[in-house]
This record gives sequence, C-alpha cells and structure tokens, in this order.
Amino acid sequence: MISALRHGWLPRIVLVGFVLVAIQTTLAADMRPFGVSVQVVLAFAAACGAASDADRGAAAGFVLGLVYDLVIGTPVGATALTMAMAGHVAGIGRRFRVEPVWWILAVFAAIGALVGEALVPVVRIFIGEADPVGWRVAVVFPTVAVAAGVLAPVMVPTARWALSVRESELKVPGDA
Amino acid sequence: MALYSPGRRRVIILLAVTSVLLLTLDLRGNRVFDAVRSAAGAVADPFQTAADVVTSPISRAVRSYRDYDDLVAEVTDLRSQVEAQRAAEIAAQNAIIENQDLLALEGLDSVASYDSVTARLVGQSPTNFDQQVEIDRGSAHGIRVGMAATGTGVGLVGKVTRVSPQSSVIMLVTDPSYAVPVKIIAAQDTTGRDESTEVDAPEVIRETGVLRGRGDDRLPRVSLVAGSAGFGRISEGDTVFTAGGSTSLAPPNIPVGTVANVITRAGTAGQEVEVDLVSDLERLQFVRIILYQPPTELGG
Repeated sequence: MISALRHGWLPRIVLVGFVLVAIQTTLAADMRPFGVSVQVVLAFAAACGAASDADRGAAAGFVLGLVYDLVIGTPVGATALTMAMAGHVAGIGRRFRVEPVWWILAVFAAIGALVGEALVPVVRIFIGEADPVGWRVAVVFPTVAVAAGVLAPVMVPTARWALSVRESELKVPGDA
Repeated sequence: MALYSPGRRRVIILLAVTSVLLLTLDLRGNRVFDAVRSAAGAVADPFQTAADVVTSPISRAVRSYRDYDDLVAEVTDLRSQVEAQRAAEIAAQNAIIENQDLLALEGLDSVASYDSVTARLVGQSPTNFDQQVEIDRGSAHGIRVGMAATGTGVGLVGKVTRVSPQSSVIMLVTDPSYAVPVKIIAAQDTTGRDESTEVDAPEVIRETGVLRGRGDDRLPRVSLVAGSAGFGRISEGDTVFTAGGSTSLAPPNIPVGTVANVITRAGTAGQEVEVDLVSDLERLQFVRIILYQPPTELGG
C-alpha cells in the first residue's frame, strides 16, 4: 500500500472507485440485463488485474472493495476481499502471456469477475447470513462475467491509466 | 520462479487476512468505521448526484423502450381490476372504520393509528445478493433505523436499515438477513356445531414464528415449532400478520401474506411454511414508513 502511494496510483484508483460506485448505484442498478445488476466496480477490479499483474490487481481490487463497502454500507472488508480475489485471479493470466491481445484481456477480466462474484455468497455465509444462494446464481454469475468481459475494452485502458502501467514495465515471468 | 509459487501469493494472503480482520472489527461494531463510512458517504454524494443527472435520461430511455408493452398490458389489466374493486372497496372501508372504532373503544392500537411517512423509491440494490431499496425520506422526516415499511397498500415490505437526513435504505422482506416475528391466523370451519346457540363456530388457530427472507427468487419462510397448539393445522391460504410484541421492531397486525406451501420436516424439526407476500416487491414505487418504535426502544 505504501508502494501504491509512492507510485501515485492509490489516489487515482480511489477516484475511479468513487465514480464507478456512483455509476453502480444509478445506471447499473437500474438497467438489469436478465434481472442482474452488472457489477461495474468488480469489472474494473478484474480489469486492473488483467492490465497489470496479480499483485497490483489484488491491491487495486482491495482498495476498490473498501470504497464500495464504505459507500454502499456492506460490512467493511466483505467486498474488499472478493474484489481483491477478482483482481488477483485476472492478473494471474498475465503470467502466461506478457502482452496479450484485447480479447484475451477481456477473458482474463471475465474470469476474475466470475471468481469475485462467486465469492460474494461465500463471504456472506462466513459473516453469518443463512442460505444466501438461490438458483438465480446460475444467471447472476455468467451475466456478471460476460458484462465484465464486454466492459474490458473500456476498463482495461482506464485501469492502465489508474495504475500507471506502461507496456515496457511488464516483465517476463520469473524476472526479478 | 514458478508461475504460481507460494512467494507470489503473499500479497493476496495479506489482503485476505486484512479483509477478515476488518470484517471482524466491523461486525463487532466499531465507531471508527462508522465515522469513516459517514465521511465516505459525504464524499460519494456529489459523485452520485452527478451520475444520477448524467445517467437518468439513459435509464429512462431504456426503461421506456423495455417496459412499454408490459405497461400497456398492465394498465388495461389494472383498469378492469379497478372496476371490480370499486364496490368491494366501499364495503372494506366501512369494515375498516368499524374495526378501528372497536379497537379505539378497547384502547388497542391498530396499524392505522400510527403516524407514517410516504416515500418514493429512488434506487435499487447495487448488488445481486442484497434485497434493498433506497427511498427519498430520512431522519429529517422522523424515520429511524428498524422502522417497518409497507407498500402503498398495507402489506409489509421490509424495514429501515440505514438512515441519512434525506434518504434511507430499506431491507426488503426477501433479504436473507431479514427476520420478523409473525403470527399465522387460520380460521377453520368445524363440522361440529355449538349446541347452546345453534350457530356455526369457526375455530381460529393462531400460530407464531419468525419469518425469514431467502432471496428474491424464493418465498420467505416461517419456521414453526413441533408440538405447539397450531402444529399441523396450518394450511395453504391462511393469513400471516406481524406479531408485534415488546421487542419486535414492527407493530402488530401488518398483513404480510398468505401461506403458499406447508413443508413438513423430518424428526423434531417442525414445519415450515412458505409465505406468498401481499406486496409486489418487483413493482414498488412508493412505500409507507410506519413511525413506530417498540417500547423497549423508547425506554418504556
């Protein structure tokens, strides 16, 4: 986190986080494809991982999740955990391919978002919510994942800007 | 280094542990978090206002296109229903007035005797797992956390879980975290006859339990205790009301719904009943917040 402050990406992530939470509570909450609320903040967390790497994706997801928890009123740490995992999982893909094409980044973001959304009911059970999952998750998870993939062409460049990622910074797996 | 080695997992493990720590602190109640949350809300307000201004024309346009056919069909249906309901309404109004007069004579409270605030829905839950809505009335209008919310009719909708001066968040009855004490009233026709008066005496069964939400795709359920007086005698169509009581946040006798299914569980687990709600939560536009606080909350 100190490194995040030193490199200057933390304020930008927080700023983008507030903007996306505002979009989440207005446009995304209103327009529900198949009755599902598209998770734009989660999509951005996954895009951060896809645009950089697993560690920065996890850290950015954690910060975005904290912003989300504090503004929406969900227990602090609940969304931070799921979004950190989303960023981490999306970033793992970068270890297999250093400079992927846009559609591969979209797939990484979709997988990250899928994992993040799937963890939400797990965290809810952990905090004592009884039986939070119904059959509707069969629609919710794929819709959230596909939406994250569709949003990736916009989210990934935004994530690159927010995280100050330049292509030359990317290293081959195994490099120190 | 391997593509996914223990060393590479340090950051995510650290963040996961931090998240669990924060969760634990928040769930135990923490004033610092409350203050930070309040500050974050204040910072987010201008963003949300701006987003609302920018996105509401888009939302309205999409909604108009998407919902037009449904709305036309619904208006036609509602017009015919209004015609049918007009006569029934006159009789019902008369019965309500008589009922309130009787309750007043006996010094008993009815739902209509509590002050209330009508509010418009201004937002839906941003998540796929919480069943919440936001309304445009808050603490400045007398709303407090825990107060019950009904539809514009009388059916229970949920309870207030978060209040700011000009807005509030309502947790809907279908939310998995929602619970309220209820009573199930079953008026059963008896084949026997009261010989002294020669008048049919329907038997009224009153069973209590706690209604819990189970998500928007499943009906809320009430668990009944095996061996109680009404056990095994509840059937589909019986009516469910809030039970009230000194510790319940909802006043008594708010209609909740009707019994849709009776589920018998094995052993001593007792029965569960699924409740078909009176209020249509999918189509809520306005809600009524009942300005009722139980005696325990008032220190009475």
